[in-house]
Amino acid sequence: MEALKNNPFVKKVGLNRILLVCVLIVMYVLFALFSPTFLSYSRILSILNYACFLGFLSLGVTFVIATGGIDFSIGPVMFCCALISGYCLMSYGVPMVPVMLISILVGLCFGIFNGYLVAYWSIPPFIVSMASMNISKGLASVFTKTQSVSWPQSTSEQGWYRYLVKVGNIPVGLFIFLGIAIICAIILNKTKIGRYILCLGSNMEAVRLSGVNVKKWQMTAYIICGTLVGIAAIFFVSAYTTVQPGYGDQYNNEAIAGCVMGGTSMAGGLASVSGTVIGVFIIALLQEGILALGMNKNYQLIITGIIVIAAVYFDVLGRRRKN
Amino acid sequence: MANQNTAVAAKKKSSLDKLGGQKFIVILVIIALFLFFSVMSANFRKYTTIVSILDYSYYIVLMSIGVTFPLITGGVDLSIGTGLICYSLVGGYLISFHNFPVWGGMLVTVLFGVAIGLVNGTLVAVMDIPPFLVTLCTCMITRGLGAIIVGGFGITWPTATQPGGWFRNIFKISIDARTKIPIGIVWVLILVAVMSFVLNHTKIGRYTIGIGSNKEAARLSGVNVKFYHIMAYVISGLFAGLAAIAYSAVFATVQPGTGAGFELEAIGGAIIGGVSASGGAGSVTGSLLGVFVICLLKTGLPFIGLQANWQQIITGLVLIGAVLIDVIKKRREVH
Amino acid sequence: MGEVILTMKGIDKSFPGVHALDHVDLEVRRGEVHALMGENGAGKSTLMKVLTGIYTKDEGTITFEGKEVEFHNTREAQDAGIVIVHQELNMLGHLTVAQNIFFGREFKKGIGIDDRKMNEEAAKLFERLNIDIDPTTTMSDLTVGKQQMCEIAKAISHEAKVIIFDEPSAALTEAEIEELFKIIRDLRAQNLGIIYISHRMDEIKVITDRVTVMRDGAYVGTLITEDCTKNDIINMMVGRVIYEDPKTHSMVPEGAPVVLKVENLNAGKMVQNVSFELHKGEILGFSGLMGAGRTETARAIFGADPKQSGDIYMNGEKVTINTPQDAVNHGIGYLSEDRKRFGIVVQKSVAENTTLATLKEYLSGIFINKRKEEKVAQEFVDSLATKTPGVDQLVVNLSGGNQQKVVIAKWLCRNSDVLIFDEPTRGIDVGAKNEIYKLMNKLAAEGKAIIMISSEMTEILRMSDRIVVMCEGKITGELDIAEATQENIMNLATREIS
Repeated sequence: MEALKNNPFVKKVGLNRILLVCVLIVMYVLFALFSPTFLSYSRILSILNYACFLGFLSLGVTFVIATGGIDFSIGPVMFCCALISGYCLMSYGVPMVPVMLISILVGLCFGIFNGYLVAYWSIPPFIVSMASMNISKGLASVFTKTQSVSWPQSTSEQGWYRYLVKVGNIPVGLFIFLGIAIICAIILNKTKIGRYILCLGSNMEAVRLSGVNVKKWQMTAYIICGTLVGIAAIFFVSAYTTVQPGYGDQYNNEAIAGCVMGGTSMAGGLASVSGTVIGVFIIALLQEGILALGMNKNYQLIITGIIVIAAVYFDVLGRRRKN
Repeated sequence: MANQNTAVAAKKKSSLDKLGGQKFIVILVIIALFLFFSVMSANFRKYTTIVSILDYSYYIVLMSIGVTFPLITGGVDLSIGTGLICYSLVGGYLISFHNFPVWGGMLVTVLFGVAIGLVNGTLVAVMDIPPFLVTLCTCMITRGLGAIIVGGFGITWPTATQPGGWFRNIFKISIDARTKIPIGIVWVLILVAVMSFVLNHTKIGRYTIGIGSNKEAARLSGVNVKFYHIMAYVISGLFAGLAAIAYSAVFATVQPGTGAGFELEAIGGAIIGGVSASGGAGSVTGSLLGVFVICLLKTGLPFIGLQANWQQIITGLVLIGAVLIDVIKKRREVH
Repeated sequence: MGEVILTMKGIDKSFPGVHALDHVDLEVRRGEVHALMGENGAGKSTLMKVLTGIYTKDEGTITFEGKEVEFHNTREAQDAGIVIVHQELNMLGHLTVAQNIFFGREFKKGIGIDDRKMNEEAAKLFERLNIDIDPTTTMSDLTVGKQQMCEIAKAISHEAKVIIFDEPSAALTEAEIEELFKIIRDLRAQNLGIIYISHRMDEIKVITDRVTVMRDGAYVGTLITEDCTKNDIINMMVGRVIYEDPKTHSMVPEGAPVVLKVENLNAGKMVQNVSFELHKGEILGFSGLMGAGRTETARAIFGADPKQSGDIYMNGEKVTINTPQDAVNHGIGYLSEDRKRFGIVVQKSVAENTTLATLKEYLSGIFINKRKEEKVAQEFVDSLATKTPGVDQLVVNLSGGNQQKVVIAKWLCRNSDVLIFDEPTRGIDVGAKNEIYKLMNKLAAEGKAIIMISSEMTEILRMSDRIVVMCEGKITGELDIAEATQENIMNLATREIS
């Protein structure tokens, strides 16, 4: 074990990430053994569909958790973005490109709202999340008059937006997601924003006493999260077209699960975008695998719940040992 | 000396104000809301409407009584909403498909709630996992579990006319088709009184407040902090179980996959009623009053032509507002 | 004074790297108030922690009521009758006074708690102590003084035989101190043994019967208060140790310009009307005992805590400093006494910490130029002789002295004109200490203006060009290094309240 830890390759990539990739592969093999259809290309495409929008959510929440906060309004907010922009598209005839901007804008607004309350008014993040969750659900329902919204099918005139997820059999969405993940990794590791977010998540007071405007950067994390949620909404509808008001809660947990499994610490200060990406693929694989085994969505709720608790517990244990 | 006494008296009054002031305002808000809706809509002031407001409030009130305890420890329980549905589904399922007597189903419902509370409490108190995360997970887990156990279908508890339908009379006695007595309010008030006693005059309550006020000091006083921390979540689970019975008695069928959002109404009510978001302070009667504000909004808004969904938005904003007041108060104390 | 109730003999205690207690003796009699005195870090608190079971001793014996005892936690000490009234209050603000006093051992009535009986018992306690507090008041509504009284009542309710007061008067007003003394006299009359830790010389004279003085973790001696003068005690506290190479004269060139001027600064109780000037190239030592308000002054100047009033001038110009951001922009750097909490981000690398206050200068476009960052960090590692395997090393893995150097690098990197060193060598071993001193002298010679807050007399006398002494939130004197001695500093630091 020690030898493995000291191997230069392992050191560079990180043991956790290698283990995660192994988990991913083992899971895939296991599912494939139990369900032969699992090896089909269409299965893989549908896993990627799921990983795509979930990935954006998970990337977003990674920034928030890096500050030591939490946002579990992201699922409902994503639905709110998709519903409001979709309603503009279907009922008011707004063209597709502005509609996408509306979606991102709605997400951005929620990010500003959450971030402002957490950073400048010191309201506990979980309360803010709870409030946002309800407000986003209510807002979406009011706006759409409690009707579900179906975005255009691929065959219709405005169906081109679905190419964002896949063109023919090419999983374009995957590439866009990976592209944005790389941008997020750069922001987190190579820019001032990321540096301050990680540092303040680790020791807010020390950063403040270094003359940094910590509130601004704390809020920025929520804003980045909100923007990514707005993008996630576009990829959600590109994959599934229909959104219903009042839902979206379950994606909170899945996004947070992907994030904490990837090695982002709930205590803040430690975040890994590549870990989040692998974590998201595990969750997406799990989701698809459970369906392939003939079990329903409910099993997934339970399994993700247990995964999050376990992942956070390991994080807690690790910190206890260090102290 | 006399001066000093008046000073002490004045101090005492101000602390009374602190406890009672917010409640008093909440009562005024309730009256104002009630008057407002009554004036705006003739239908609202009917006896049947009032009975139905009460009907729909029971389960929220019960959840709110329970969740007051974890909130006072400085934590939260987000699992009560979907938990309620899960417990109700399981109880109803046993009655409908496994010939359980109704009381047996009710017992299982409540015990299930206690069990989930125990799980939450252990994860929070012993394993040190943040409460919102633990209960967010158990929220999802109970949602899945309920649906799986009953096979994904809605469950109907016995109706009033069926054998075993007696349990619906626990909350509402029907004299005839039109006259119904909302007897449930009596039980709710009794439970509020009991839990008020528990919070203020028993060790469980005292140590719950102690944990929320200064956990380290409580531990140094030789109190088994972990046990009482767990108990706070067990109480929350127990009342989610009781709320499940109230829910089953009022609604015809229980649908799996629902329940998300109930917890917010209960927690929002508690915070409006004066429970501090940072723990330590709060009262059961306050929570009861706070919940009524939310229930009035929920049932009243449709009467003035606003969709019920507005209530969700308003609840969210009211929640933020209530916490903001708390935050501002604390900032003033610091300066 | 009655018979001996408590004897501590040859108590020895070591922590990694520190010999905290070196065979200390202490004897307390019934019906006596026994003062325990010493400079900061003399080992008073450690001794009391050994007594109350928070620390276990390495050597020595504790005899209590004629029996040798060993306590493993505070609970055991409490049960035996030794209780401590902490300087920092351990209260539950949301509960009432009576509920606090009996927390953890409530009276029961059926399934409930008998609050009435608790109130009655609390009232009896207060009656015994002659204090006017309503047991049903919520704790957080009381003044700090009254809260302290409640702590005392709680201590007595444990059937205490020995009560330890750890700087009980620190947060009290004059009137409250009077009340406290009345209570202590009553307790003495009731034949309890009382250990009284305080820095206030005048109080020691008024309230105590004997004084035991400690210095550098060792027992110096015990005096009968009545027979000794304030100077006797001070001499015992500071000792006659020859400190290594103290500064003999100011190194500041004649007519060096004033860099920082503070006028009538007020911030809470701990900073009252503080005014001073700081010259270019000067090391201004801030001396005083624990709780004198030095750190609070520094934090107020730096904008870390809000201030009520006062003007700050930088290079003759009046500046507004409301946040640390303002301070940093005006060229002030603050090195906190508590590095782990306020100074460094331990989970980040040396390079990242070095550029924390100056990140803007290391951006190429929107990206952080890591090469430039690491180069600068490496320069500081070299010039400060920081011992680290590399600049990408996490700060958590460095020793205290090297962590301090990283913080210094952070502010040097910012090119700050004014550096506030708050206890710069706390928790740093001797070798590293000398390096830090050398560094500070070098910085001063280069023209930086330095404020050094220190509780170590050696450090103050060795480093400062001028010394400001604070006591209870006020500046009580200013000394040139040429005229400064331990005695006159200690005299100013313990000045009687007039």
